[in-house]
Amino acid sequence: MIAALRALRDRARGPRKARLERFGAIVQLVRPRALVFVDRARARVLGLRDGGALWANPADDGVIGRAPLAAPLEAHLQLTNRCDVGCTGCYTGASPGGAPREYGLADWKRAIDELARMGVFHLALGGGESAILPWLGELAAYARGRGLVPNLTTSGLAHLDNVLAHADLFGQINVSLDGLGATYAKVRGVDGFARADAALAALRAVKREIGINVVVTRHNFDELGAIFAYARAHRLNEVELLRFKPSGRGAAAYGAMACTDAQHRALLPTILAGARRHRLRVRVDCSYVPMLAHHQPDRALLAGLAVYGCTAGNFLVAAKATGAATACSFAPPDPLRPRIDELAAHWTRPDAFIPYRAWREALEPCASCSYHDLCRGGCKVVSGHAGDPTAPDPECPRVVDFRRAEAPPPGTRRRSLPVV
Amino acid sequence: MRRQGRILAIKWGVNPNSSSLGVDVTFLLLGATALAMATPVIGALLRWRRPGAEPPATSTPPALR
Repeated sequence: MIAALRALRDRARGPRKARLERFGAIVQLVRPRALVFVDRARARVLGLRDGGALWANPADDGVIGRAPLAAPLEAHLQLTNRCDVGCTGCYTGASPGGAPREYGLADWKRAIDELARMGVFHLALGGGESAILPWLGELAAYARGRGLVPNLTTSGLAHLDNVLAHADLFGQINVSLDGLGATYAKVRGVDGFARADAALAALRAVKREIGINVVVTRHNFDELGAIFAYARAHRLNEVELLRFKPSGRGAAAYGAMACTDAQHRALLPTILAGARRHRLRVRVDCSYVPMLAHHQPDRALLAGLAVYGCTAGNFLVAAKATGAATACSFAPPDPLRPRIDELAAHWTRPDAFIPYRAWREALEPCASCSYHDLCRGGCKVVSGHAGDPTAPDPECPRVVDFRRAEAPPPGTRRRSLPVV
Repeated sequence: MRRQGRILAIKWGVNPNSSSLGVDVTFLLLGATALAMATPVIGALLRWRRPGAEPPATSTPPALR
């Protein structure tokens, strides 16, 4: 009897997973879903063993960000680049044929083994459209078995049955919904709203943790309030707002789709007003941190919520459909050509994921920005599209203002200083 | 007496999006007070949960320049 009660209590308590870091440790909670960063003293109190060489430098204790993490928090796996939809701005340039030499089930299982060994907590599975893969459920179950939480993004436009059959395996499933009604087609170039809407209803009928991903463009920005209302009406648990990226087919469409400067400046008030009005959880893309910092929120609060800008090749890592490891999903493969199933050896190299890890070497106006250690220069993919991935994010309002002030007034020509 | 240590940050939720690290900004609405109130609750939950298997302590990349 007592043994049965103990077993029941143990099941309610559930195990927590933890990983040692230079600053202390990261501990995963399943309910509520959270990753908790603690210093060394708290790690000891929680019964974690001593960090040994990892804790050799007392100055690192309690300081997040002095060095990259011991492993990513999450890995973004592009399981396939196959997709029949053909969206205008697809950041992977997905096509019905996919990429040559894509990884298969056995390869991805090997990758999951490697990520589990490293202590990665979460997987974000995407594509292409990974719902077309007959082994999606088997892979998700395998990840669960190795202690990782698989999460999924799907268009909802194909093979929904495959997602519904395995919905319970995923921590969270989000459907891409970049607008309501006609706006969906305007943003994606494909009229798929009715099918995505039906997919959301079907998924929500079998699972609570269903949300939407919205790629924010100049065409749907004004509709964000209506999208929040839609999410609330459909009892979705979150809306995740993503910045349009100049990657894949998105590079060609960028000029016509990216938000305007005025929209970027209005983003945070728009989000907060929508979240308050519709009582919704809202998440934003890491590349939006410059737009948050523009409103000068409490730095300590941002740090306490682990709100960071570009943490590619650090908090997160990605893999192309071929297994090539990249700093993030938009980044080109690392010049050293690491593979996701051999990530551990690459992770600790001092030259890994440059320039993503070299954010401290910042130019103005980032160098003097009080949010720089959180924001880390904004999105390097957007900077790279503008010519230099190490330059400040050109769409950050502070950078826009700085460059405007530096530019000569209209109608005048900059005078060169004489060479002495 | 053993020092209790600190919770440095709490990253809420999981990120399904395979293209970026999603951060929950709902707490910006609630403010620092709400986070300060949630932190001890999270601390208690951490103590209550059973420790699971830890991966081996690996070396980390060198400190950032």
